[in-house]
Amino acid sequence: MEFYLYTHSVKEFLRARRIAAWVILTLMVAAIGLVWKYVAKSETDTQRYADLTSIFTFHLVALAAAIMTTSIIGQEVEQKTIVYILTRPVSRWKLLLMRYLGAVTVVSLIGILCSLLLSAAVFGGNPLGNSLLVPDIMAIILGAFAYSAFCLLVSLLIVRSMIVCILFILAWETTVPNMPGDLYRLSIYSYMQAIAQHPAVTDNRGTAFLSGDLGNNFLQPSTGYPVLIIVSVILIAFSLWWFTIFEFVPREDSD
Amino acid sequence: MIQLQNVSRWYGQVIGLNDVTCQIGPGVTALLGMNGAGKSTMMRLITGQLRPTTGDISINGMEPFANPELYKILGYCPEIDKFYEHNTGRQFVYYLARLAGYGKQEAADRTNQMLLTVGMADRADRPIAGFSKGMRQRIKLAQAMLHDPEIILLDEPLNGLDPIGRHDMASLLAHLASMGKTILISSHILYEVQHMTESILLLHRGRLLATGDLRVIRSLLDKHPHQVRINTTDPHGVAERLVTLPNVISIAFETRENTLQLEVREPDSFYNALSDLILNQGLPVEGFESPDNNLESVFKYLVEA
Repeated sequence: MEFYLYTHSVKEFLRARRIAAWVILTLMVAAIGLVWKYVAKSETDTQRYADLTSIFTFHLVALAAAIMTTSIIGQEVEQKTIVYILTRPVSRWKLLLMRYLGAVTVVSLIGILCSLLLSAAVFGGNPLGNSLLVPDIMAIILGAFAYSAFCLLVSLLIVRSMIVCILFILAWETTVPNMPGDLYRLSIYSYMQAIAQHPAVTDNRGTAFLSGDLGNNFLQPSTGYPVLIIVSVILIAFSLWWFTIFEFVPREDSD
Repeated sequence: MIQLQNVSRWYGQVIGLNDVTCQIGPGVTALLGMNGAGKSTMMRLITGQLRPTTGDISINGMEPFANPELYKILGYCPEIDKFYEHNTGRQFVYYLARLAGYGKQEAADRTNQMLLTVGMADRADRPIAGFSKGMRQRIKLAQAMLHDPEIILLDEPLNGLDPIGRHDMASLLAHLASMGKTILISSHILYEVQHMTESILLLHRGRLLATGDLRVIRSLLDKHPHQVRINTTDPHGVAERLVTLPNVISIAFETRENTLQLEVREPDSFYNALSDLILNQGLPVEGFESPDNNLESVFKYLVEA
């Protein structure tokens, strides 16, 4: 049963109409990687790859997590189809956990695909020759867990949560890593950067801002891994508890 | 056995269900009430989607809210007309069969069986988005009954069904009831359910107004003057004949519309006599209707009583 819930969730997220936009976006990131050689001529391939991963791939993962996880329950409530799944002999927490894991899987796949294509574009067809690839993939997977857990919780707590989550990704997660002092620690993105350990952007302030390099982020992977794991576990545990004990019936349905 | 003990449910300042106490046992029970009476709230409380604000609900000794054990013995056909529109009818029912805990083969077999039962086997492989209202209703019924539940709740299941569908549904429910299942069927239209069951619960503005046998309600209705409106080309001639009938209390003329407004007692006897006059004595009646022959009038009588 649990495995079916998980595979069904993955299949739903991978439906052609849902996944097509994400594949196109990853191809666009790879295309930018090809063009970037001519824009940042003075940088090495590694530096170019690191900049583009920080600016595009990591934010793409966050955006995919926001859009996919807010649909897990939020869309069911809005479309009023939630009644069918809530009246089946399956525990609510299992249902939510399996759907969450399905979303994390697909978000991670999107991020990994984006990294591989970008690496191929920057390093000339040999994506696996890129020494940053493995830490990036780890950062992407843990980032997918953390962002998805955060957005899932938001979707359970408020209606029309997708707007809030997208604002969080575009505003908070772009700005906070660049803030002075220790404020950068309040961003999931900072811990993804800690795992990835990209070389710092030195000469272009715009690129540095989008990469979160204007702050004082000296976090190490030994901090990034446990923090993202703990944050994900706490957020998802709270979501599972909330979904189990609260009502999820559209208000306007009530007579 | 479904038991509600002093159950109330508030939505903020609005009350959805007000201090309802009742028991629902095996057989078909109709939950009647006008729109907004609290039928769907009661259904959602029984199916564990909502918690009562006060009072207790018990189904075979189990508390219903978010209780997976309960859903093994309970099937629910919601009023909402919402689906995963990109799915075919078969995929939709199969998915819910898998969520009911069946393996691949058993879920497929049960899906096929239920689609046959609701008359959708030959049309179930099309996307739900293209289904008519009646077809969607049948798919909802299929998902409610595919795990052979002991308790079946159907919220306005006859909406959109054609006469054949209604007849099939009545036969199916009668069959299920004969197997000892507990069936609760909600409706806001009295005539829809009166040939399915005599056992009713009447809800009005969140309160349980009456419970028991529909025939008792009917007899209560029969004691009150019953309104009948008759269209005719000859109002005076028809009135002259009708006034001799023992059940007719009064006749009023609405001459502009060639209509007679009657008050009668024991409406069944009156209708029999009227039919006899039309068929055997050529009474020129073009049509008749009774504004009292609906649920609203039942409530009116009961509230006034």
